[in-house]
Amino acid sequence: MISLWQAHLSFAMIIFLVLPAFGLNKVWRIALLLALLAASFIPLGGLSLAAYLRSHIDDLAITSLVFMGWGCLRRLEMLPPAQKDHIGVLILFAVMALVLYPATLGLSDLDPYRRGFSPRPLLFVIAMLTFGAFYLRNYLAVVMLTGATLTFIAGLKPSHNYWDYLIDPLLGLYCCLALLVLATRWAYRRLITQRSPIRNKSV
Amino acid sequence: MRIKLPRLPALGVYLALACLFAGAWLTHPAPKHSSFALISPVPAVTDEAAKPIYTSRFASSGLVDFVHSSAITALPDGSLMAVWFAGSREGAADVQVRSARFNVSTGEWGEEQVMATRDSTQQSTRKYIRKLGNPVIALAPDNRLWLFYVSVSMGGWAGSAVNVMVSDDFGVNWSAPRQLITSPFLNISTLVRSAPVFHVDGSIGLPVYHEFLGKFAEYLYLSADGEVIDKYRISHGNHSLQPAVVPLDGQRGIALLRYAGNTHHRVLASRTEDAGQTWSEPFPLDPSNPNSSLAAVATPEHGMLVALNDLQEGRFKLSLYLTDAKMVDWRLVHDLDKSPDPEGDPYSPLAYKEIIGKKFRDSSGELRQPLEAQFLDNLDNRVCKSEECEFEYEYPYFIRSPDGMYHLVYSWNNTFIKHVTFNDAWLSERLK
Repeated sequence: MISLWQAHLSFAMIIFLVLPAFGLNKVWRIALLLALLAASFIPLGGLSLAAYLRSHIDDLAITSLVFMGWGCLRRLEMLPPAQKDHIGVLILFAVMALVLYPATLGLSDLDPYRRGFSPRPLLFVIAMLTFGAFYLRNYLAVVMLTGATLTFIAGLKPSHNYWDYLIDPLLGLYCCLALLVLATRWAYRRLITQRSPIRNKSV
Repeated sequence: MRIKLPRLPALGVYLALACLFAGAWLTHPAPKHSSFALISPVPAVTDEAAKPIYTSRFASSGLVDFVHSSAITALPDGSLMAVWFAGSREGAADVQVRSARFNVSTGEWGEEQVMATRDSTQQSTRKYIRKLGNPVIALAPDNRLWLFYVSVSMGGWAGSAVNVMVSDDFGVNWSAPRQLITSPFLNISTLVRSAPVFHVDGSIGLPVYHEFLGKFAEYLYLSADGEVIDKYRISHGNHSLQPAVVPLDGQRGIALLRYAGNTHHRVLASRTEDAGQTWSEPFPLDPSNPNSSLAAVATPEHGMLVALNDLQEGRFKLSLYLTDAKMVDWRLVHDLDKSPDPEGDPYSPLAYKEIIGKKFRDSSGELRQPLEAQFLDNLDNRVCKSEECEFEYEYPYFIRSPDGMYHLVYSWNNTFIKHVTFNDAWLSERLK
């Protein structure tokens, strides 16, 4: 049943984060989040709305829940605005997604998903990444990775595979797209700043 | 230069993190892999006094549904249980997983029972289910009866997940279905078709295949409680499906694969020497394969019986072959069912009705015989399209029961599930 509670939380947080702020104050934003949580229980054809969403996105990874929780707390102004460590998280999970999904779906002879069933080497890698993130004071990454590992030990998800706690396609896709947007913005700004001195000279 | 040491709180966090990952390390050792469990060998019945037995009958009894993808298992009391899917057409929302039991005393199949529907699967898995597909059934050495079947929440068969139900009383009562988690990508793209294989410690080897970005076969390794604990690739790429795994001894086994590519159109085979953990690169065998499912079972003489459509195209003939463990020598034992036309060309509805009527009488068994007139009145787009009617014999599933009998079920023109039984004496006679 944990997966269903997870589905309701995912439903509320995803829609809350996708919706614009509408200029609402903090109290109304909290009310909106709670309303979305309540809406996730609305039955439709024998299933709740959250269950319908779950049918298409599956059970999200624990890292996703932490990441969305962090996003919601920021929206509710309970956490300070995002620092640059946010980019480290995007890179980390985009790389994980690119390592895992194409190969697992058959585009490679290797099957990295299998490593999640005998997870000791993967645990070592994730431990090193967590230590590194803590050293770099990327606390969001630390909470995401430790949250995933803690719930993996507790066996909170129906899967026995460590990967299913670490990443899901929604998180991977978001990280890849966000990095693409950031890279495009960076390239555009660089282009503008390179052009500016030339324009100044010609004046 | 001074080295900056972490402060005490930071050291505490490092220590806590180290403990967390050490805990995860200690609690998650690699799963142990067990040898194939071989059913207590039944000596070949070669006694001169043993009579050759070859019988056939229909396991299903419905007359209007499209029936397909059957599987069978033997139960300890000598009875059998078969499962298949049935509905208005393949992939329709009304498709159900159905079953029937073979009564050993009457020698006939009983009434059809509904095992799973779209609705029952949806209610139990709490996921929207669009359609159901291939079921497989097998009795474990610990006498738990397992049913695995495919469901789709979104898209086509590439969006499939595998559901499991288990019975502790030989199929009288069943657990609610739950989904196996087999893929990190939305848990889609895993299908079952072939017989599960059991290992000595009770773990279950479930041959599965993927149909999303690639078409390849895998060997899922499940604990005795049906939890996925490991998986192994049998093939790679985009051209092999539906592995039929045949253990030869505790460590050695063969997977025969349906060929789904565009090059050689032959049955593929892969070998394992470590009870399914690693598999050789698949290689083509002598028999043709028109991208159709096949089934195999080991014989007491360390060979294999294989049921397949040995055709370049179409599924109008289903044949039974015997091969050695090296899969070099292939001997045709019997054509189980075939179209009277050697090329499988279609017939006019009138001519078809006459032919299939005779085939019905030859195949149905005594209990289903009275259904002939109704069956002939119901011939529809399952067999005839645009005034052209064809024969299709496909999707075989093979077992050898503990009493030494061979049981084969397959789709008979997508109108019935046909059950064929024979013994070693019949086999010996055919090979003389």
